[in-house]
Amino acid sequence: MTRMPENSSQPLLAVTHLSKFFGRQLGCHDIGFTVSPGEVIGVVGESGSGKSTLLNCIAGRIKPSNGSVFFNSSAGMIDLCRSSEALVRKIIRTQTGYVTQNAAQGLKMHISAGGNIGEKLMAGGMRHYGQIRKMALAWLERVEIDPDRIDDMPATFSGGMQQRLQIAANLVNSPKIMLMDEPTSGLDVSVQARLIDVLRKLVSGLNLSMVLVTHDLAVARLLCHRLYVMKQGEMVESGLSDQILDDPRQPYTQLLVSSVLKP
Amino acid sequence: MTRNWILKLENIEKDFVFHLQQGTRIVVFDGFSHLFFPGRASILTGPSGSGKSTLLRMIYGTYRTGGGHIWVRHRNRPKDIAAAAPAMIYTLRQDTIGYVSQFLRVVPRVSALDTVIEPLLARNMDLEKARKKGRALLERLNIPSTMWHLSATTFSGGEQQRINLARGFIAPFPILLLDEPTASLDLKNRRIVIELIKEALADNTCVIGVFHDPKDHRDFADHTINLAHMLNQEVMQSCPGKN
Repeated sequence: MTRMPENSSQPLLAVTHLSKFFGRQLGCHDIGFTVSPGEVIGVVGESGSGKSTLLNCIAGRIKPSNGSVFFNSSAGMIDLCRSSEALVRKIIRTQTGYVTQNAAQGLKMHISAGGNIGEKLMAGGMRHYGQIRKMALAWLERVEIDPDRIDDMPATFSGGMQQRLQIAANLVNSPKIMLMDEPTSGLDVSVQARLIDVLRKLVSGLNLSMVLVTHDLAVARLLCHRLYVMKQGEMVESGLSDQILDDPRQPYTQLLVSSVLKP
Repeated sequence: MTRNWILKLENIEKDFVFHLQQGTRIVVFDGFSHLFFPGRASILTGPSGSGKSTLLRMIYGTYRTGGGHIWVRHRNRPKDIAAAAPAMIYTLRQDTIGYVSQFLRVVPRVSALDTVIEPLLARNMDLEKARKKGRALLERLNIPSTMWHLSATTFSGGEQQRINLARGFIAPFPILLLDEPTASLDLKNRRIVIELIKEALADNTCVIGVFHDPKDHRDFADHTINLAHMLNQEVMQSCPGKN
């Protein structure tokens, strides 16, 4: 398990009564949770449970139908759902990183690996080319990508490498919280193991918070401190990871936990 | 004497409802109370299913309590695990309550040494100092140095359990929960674990353990708690033959 987070009174992120309807179709309903600094929260559930919808609402990529997404900023808790576009974009850009399941969607495939990282650094205010390149190399090493590949196109990278590049690009501006949508899905198990290891080290090294959407309970156990279980748009149970996985109380949670195959 | 308890179970209740099995309900505890003290070893006994591991997991906060309180004296103030916020449970698990499970949960790619020293790093010990302690303990538990940098994924059951034990004993805890710590160990290594337990007790640790073999705890056990006659009763016996 990842190292325990530091104790802190103010949450970094607080979601209250969050709902999203697509017309009459329910995406997620009345979701509430908090994330503290250094905490890794897992949102688990099967396909169609609303996990990605929830994540996209938090990331400011979808406008919720109802509820609030509070971020702890220097000016206090700011509700993204009731703030100007400009402020929302600023908070998302400076406080969060977002990693999609399909790395190709989260990267600029027509510019080099170094460019993907460098662009984010420049957006954050860095100007000096030499400095940017140096930082990009450092980040590639941190996510275990061979620094010699800095000028290569992401299309020449394997899936696992693309995913790690996406993570690096999203960490360069020191976000407080990473939002990750199924980051390990679709990867081979050994590649998954490497990615998980990279994430674990980043979480403890940077005291990073994460909201991790996954349907893989083993990944949830390994990376997350707490879990929220979703089913058909509703949050059915929440608790510490070991509580949810070892002492599931709700019928759906029990079904989910018992369905996992153990090799 | 009552003032000095370190762990206090107050009318704890626990049941399991198996929704996938027509809602079968099993009651494990129905108002159990008990005090535990620093430097004392309590052994939980009883047949399989009587609640021994369940009790350990409730104290650790893995199993949620249905009713009652589990008071832990944490930095001299009582905290109720049954009602604690996640942040408090993280703190309790880091500093006050240690738990050695029956099986190591192996993390791929993390070396045996780094697995063992994690509790020290969580307490902000210097990395090199922590590694030094880790190596010493691994050596004591007869894990060859050639294996220290390897992930425990390829280790035998007994070797994995010794990594698990090293991790459990490397940092001092006021309360230490042991779930079958000597299972899958040969006699030589069992003796070492017993030594480690005695050292913890001498360091004023409150030890609560489940042991498969009564011979393992005869040297240090202060009393046994028989959960076989659970449900509002406890059968406590003092242990003869303790040094």
